[in-house]
Amino acid sequence: MKLINKIFILFAGTASLSMATGCKKLLVEDQKTAITQQFFNSPVGVVGGITGVYGTLRGLWGTEGFTNQTVAGTDETLAGGSASGIQTFTYANIASNTDDYKFIFQVAYQDINTLNGVLQYGSTALTDPTQRAQYLAQAKFLRAFLYYYLVINFGDVPLHTTYIADVTTSDSRAPIADVYKQIIQDLTDASADLQNTPTAPFTGKAATKATAYYLLGRAYLTRGWSKAAQTTDFASAVTAFNTLIANKATYGVDMWQDYGDSFKPGNEYGKETLMVIDESSDVKYGNYAAGGSGGSYNSTNYFFRPNYPSMTANYPASTGANMMTRDIANGRPFIRIRPNTNYLTTVFAERTNDSRFDKSFQTAWIANTASVSTPRGALTVGVDTAIWMPPFEVTAARRAAFKGVILTPTGANGGNAYTPVFFPSMRKYDDPNRAGVNDPSTRPFIMYRFSDVYLLAAEAYFKANDLPNAAAMINIVRSRAAYRTTNTVAQNTAAVAAVQILPSQVTLDFILDERSRELYEECTRWWDLVRTQSLGRRLQQYNTEAYPAYSASNPADAFSLRPIPVTEINLVTSGPKFPQNPGY
Amino acid sequence: MVDGIPFVGGSINDINPDDIANLEILKDGSATAIYGSRGASGVILITTKRGKSGKAQMSYNAYYGIGNRIASYNLFNGTEYAAFKQAAQLGNSVNPGTTVYGLTTAEQAGLANGTNTDWQKLIFRQGSTTDHELSLSGGSDATQFSLSGGYHKDMGIVYGQSFERFTIRSTIDHQINKRLKVGLNSLQSLGYTNGANRFPVGGAVRLSPLVSAYNADGSVNLLPLVGSLDAATVNPLTIRDPLTNLDRSRRLSTFNSLYGEVNIIDGLKYRANIGLIYNQIMGGAYTGPNTFYNNATSYAQSSESVNNSENWSYTIENLLIYDKTIAQKHHITFTGLYSVEKDHSQSSSMSGVGIPADYLQNYNLAQAATATVGNGGFGERGLQSYMGRINYVFSGKYSLTGTVRTDGTSVFPSKKYFTYPALAAAWNIDREGFMRGLPVISTLKLRGGWSKTSNQSVGNYSSLGLLSSNFYNYGTTTANGYYVSTLANQNLTWEFTNSIDIGLDFGILNNRITGTIDVYDQRTSDILQQVNLPPSNGASSVFENLGKTKGQGLEISLSSINIQSKSGFNWSTDYNMSFNRNAIVELHEGLQSDIGNNWFVGQPFNVIYDLKKIGIWQTSEASQAAVYGQLPGQIKIQDVNNDGKINSSDLQILGSFQPKFTAGLTNRFSYKGIDLSIVSFARIGQMVVAPYLSADGTAQGYPFFGNGRVNQWKVNYWTPTNPTNDFPRPDASADKQIYASTLSYQDGSFIKVRSINLGYNLPATFLKRTGINGLRVYVTCTNPFIIYSPLVRSGLGIDPEGNGYGGIVASTANSTVPTAGGNAGSRVITTNINNPSTRNFQVGVNVKF
Repeated sequence: MKLINKIFILFAGTASLSMATGCKKLLVEDQKTAITQQFFNSPVGVVGGITGVYGTLRGLWGTEGFTNQTVAGTDETLAGGSASGIQTFTYANIASNTDDYKFIFQVAYQDINTLNGVLQYGSTALTDPTQRAQYLAQAKFLRAFLYYYLVINFGDVPLHTTYIADVTTSDSRAPIADVYKQIIQDLTDASADLQNTPTAPFTGKAATKATAYYLLGRAYLTRGWSKAAQTTDFASAVTAFNTLIANKATYGVDMWQDYGDSFKPGNEYGKETLMVIDESSDVKYGNYAAGGSGGSYNSTNYFFRPNYPSMTANYPASTGANMMTRDIANGRPFIRIRPNTNYLTTVFAERTNDSRFDKSFQTAWIANTASVSTPRGALTVGVDTAIWMPPFEVTAARRAAFKGVILTPTGANGGNAYTPVFFPSMRKYDDPNRAGVNDPSTRPFIMYRFSDVYLLAAEAYFKANDLPNAAAMINIVRSRAAYRTTNTVAQNTAAVAAVQILPSQVTLDFILDERSRELYEECTRWWDLVRTQSLGRRLQQYNTEAYPAYSASNPADAFSLRPIPVTEINLVTSGPKFPQNPGY
Repeated sequence: MVDGIPFVGGSINDINPDDIANLEILKDGSATAIYGSRGASGVILITTKRGKSGKAQMSYNAYYGIGNRIASYNLFNGTEYAAFKQAAQLGNSVNPGTTVYGLTTAEQAGLANGTNTDWQKLIFRQGSTTDHELSLSGGSDATQFSLSGGYHKDMGIVYGQSFERFTIRSTIDHQINKRLKVGLNSLQSLGYTNGANRFPVGGAVRLSPLVSAYNADGSVNLLPLVGSLDAATVNPLTIRDPLTNLDRSRRLSTFNSLYGEVNIIDGLKYRANIGLIYNQIMGGAYTGPNTFYNNATSYAQSSESVNNSENWSYTIENLLIYDKTIAQKHHITFTGLYSVEKDHSQSSSMSGVGIPADYLQNYNLAQAATATVGNGGFGERGLQSYMGRINYVFSGKYSLTGTVRTDGTSVFPSKKYFTYPALAAAWNIDREGFMRGLPVISTLKLRGGWSKTSNQSVGNYSSLGLLSSNFYNYGTTTANGYYVSTLANQNLTWEFTNSIDIGLDFGILNNRITGTIDVYDQRTSDILQQVNLPPSNGASSVFENLGKTKGQGLEISLSSINIQSKSGFNWSTDYNMSFNRNAIVELHEGLQSDIGNNWFVGQPFNVIYDLKKIGIWQTSEASQAAVYGQLPGQIKIQDVNNDGKINSSDLQILGSFQPKFTAGLTNRFSYKGIDLSIVSFARIGQMVVAPYLSADGTAQGYPFFGNGRVNQWKVNYWTPTNPTNDFPRPDASADKQIYASTLSYQDGSFIKVRSINLGYNLPATFLKRTGINGLRVYVTCTNPFIIYSPLVRSGLGIDPEGNGYGGIVASTANSTVPTAGGNAGSRVITTNINNPSTRNFQVGVNVKF
């Protein structure tokens, strides 16, 4: 028995001792699942930081709330029947909803801080001078890109160019002049150091010299319009655009011969694209999940679609069979954003020599559902057009002879008009290569197209009072728009001749109309109207849904700047209070 | 704490209630001091049953019960739904008179023929509970043992939800010799949970009552909403099929505590406690196409997942206990402790899309078209402690206890250790000579204490400021990305609380009436918080030690034996009442309010800070409404500063989740072998949020509330002919009604009867010849009824008691919702539409052999 006692005490003593020695390790944290900030101090970390920033941009372009903020509340669009974020369309109650505009604010500053970290650590982490210049140029490009979108949305914004690793609860807004200066500096550096064409590790359509020149020109142009304008801005913009145009072969960028090819699925990495926010069908890397919607998925293939599956055979009566079934070719109807009918038919009045309306919009839905009959006859699947929404009026006789349902802009001659639910479907973001009808887009989001270089250059020439060159730039875009593969050479030549404009025809409104024809609903319109100080005027002219609340702002045109998110105002708790933009 | 060992990573479901001998709750600082930082919020002590020397005794306990929803959610019926949709069309504020949510062909037919489908009936069923436990215990003077085995099965009220548990437990205590004693408690549990991640209720209540769940031929109407925007929605009857809706998790857990005691010399004892907990969870899910949970139409989008996790934790305690009475009057107890604890968790998961056939379910992910690896989890935390406690009792009248404890934790990077003392004193007044003249007072004891407690309750690695990661593709090249979202904090350290409490225990009339009164005051400093940062500085949050709070309270409990008659009839009552007040005393940088984090000096941590709804704009007020850019029928908000604008300067504190008081009342009656008890409970004065009465255009609240797209709670909504001030006009144009968050704040007060229990102990004389030593049969009803609830009375809810923290819609004018710990909404007490509480009836039997 005594032996047991001894063994017991010996055992307990040993256990206690071994505990004491193991304790130093016991209280040390040793995590094994995440990357630490020190990682930026390595070449892989620099690429990782830049990639992280590109990745977060998916949370903006292609998502529902942000897409609204790029095109809603403009001359081009009205709220679809299931619109979300309605105040962005109508400006009604917009003053109270200031946090609706926080997404880009939050993402941009999170990214800017990451990029500042990359720039700070990267200058020593990268030893090869060429590699260092190229990688850091990516970071500078992205920082300028983010500041550009901050300044055009919010005006004066905080300007940080060094990495913030310590807690601060104060911040203040820098004048737009300082912000533009930083943007132009970063883009000037980036345009010198970036590669001519996408090169590993930044392949696909990440930023290149061409992208940097494009954005540099756009930044000069935007500043030229602003209260921080420098007298040389429009000339500098012209220089940047012309450098890009002169070197387009070197940079491997140009316009497609056919306007339709510029957004055709499969052409995202083609010559007309200057930059994409990348996406693919890869469930891990490509921001894709079967049936995914919301979140950061690229859902642009949903937003612009009418509710074609709810069209009934006896329309406008809601009786009879549903004429169409949702399918991949016709897409998932979200009914969020619809073209502003009145404006649509005005800017696309010319549809014979200008091919862009036909290539931008789907107006016919071919029957895809068995045993559907309208009062005018039975529809044959794959042959008959079930729904037709031409951009012009039709006669009663033509309607009577047509088996399907016809909707026209105004429903003249006793017909039916477009509605918030039924309208021509903008097709540029269509994705026929998804696995399921409810899947988000697997296509990269095209940020900038080469044709915009000519349009922005035209705007810069116009502002520099050089109308002949402005007209020449616009005519390059219009000549391409005239081309149709279905035309003979002679027909194409005639169409090109017919669409040419004279220097005397170049006005600001003509430029804005031309931008719509080329870029309708391509997620840039709100900024175009704000840049050209035309938002109020164009809303008054074309958008009765938005103008009443827009024009009620005090001071006038207050809503041509987005509100500072209330989150920011509330969380700046030390130092001077963070000021809100006027009118909110 | 189970048998003295921290039950880290344990689930209350791992323990068979029949194995519990005693359950005790410690609240005051001095009592919890010996348990260290783990006990900062109080300690629940569970002592399990152990064997007793003597003849082996066997017992069998069993019960069976059924459960039903306490009420149905009050939704629009068929005709009301059609009228509501019509009102939303007329109320369309953008394109008046139009809607995208019109009645489908099937709904029109349903309206004509009076269809009114109650979808709730199709997803809910009567639940049931079965429980059996058999135990054997006994032993000799030197050795005692107990063995038990249990089985429990719960069929939930929602199709597809169930829980099943098997438990085996054994304890042994053995006195080796005069000095040595050892013992073991080993508890094994195997649990299967089905449907824990399945929430069909929110989806089912949205379905149109105007369509039938079945086709004319009796088959399931698979796509009841065909022709509408939600045409892809599949009939919830499909949730009843276990083949296409698998969601199962298996938890295997083992809890072991081993002790050894040595009597070194008289009064001095060394004890070692060693605890080991291990549990392993394997879970997974499968949903086939054409089901309610997966409305894809092909097997290319069937979806499956598997996950695995293990947790283990060990505790080693070395205790030195000295217990000595000197000169019969001085009783001294000293306890010294040195302990270490380590907790470990690890997990992995995988999911796949595209399983070719339902019967494969999630058994072979290699059959999936694409498989995705989920995030791996890993966490370890260490705790090292030293503690000394001395207790001195003089003459059984005066008692003094002093404790000092030091804890060191791995979660803080540099300031790892914290030392905290506690003092407690008690005076048994009833033992004083002068009390002899007051025979009416049978017990009187005054207690008091001062203590410091500390808290380390932040997640592992909170101070490190780790990078967030994402994944990107540059064309066909894939790449991993990283970005900064949180900041590191090298100075993160312990939160601590100073508290003072004074209590009085009393008993009068031979303890026929006994009671306790406690008052306390707590001051907490360096509160561990995830603090939101201005977005413009990059990172969104950081963990910090911030601010001070205070808590004060008065807690009273009374027990009285009301009737104790010779006939055998007894009636006794237990009553308790608590008043607890918490408030922020100090914020960072001397702020009086930190709106971005929703904190206000002088207010509880979690308040509702929003605009105040004062009614609905009426037709006659159209011009006033227009000032605010609003229309008649929309929510009218109090314009606090009368500036003609509704914005953040009109925000106000509308209430909090802190009750004015809570109270409990238990009445017990017995007559001969029959006993009856009724337990009731009240919580008065707090708010509760009903997220299903609001929408914000995202997944929060009740998406599409008030626009006619889906069925919803039956509210009294405004129309030009119904000029109510309750709910705004339905508006088919909007995915959210303006200022909708103001609709969801409700009075959460209630008085409920928790349970009624009726039992009968068969008389010993009756059992004499059967060999049975005791037999008790009983029936129990839980949640029999709600006595008082403004929420229930208003028809806007069925249960005022919060059942979650999520789903709240943020204020339009203030982005934040009440928080603690930085996660928006995480501390908002909500009562949401999900699994409703149930009313249960149980019949049970306890037999002793």
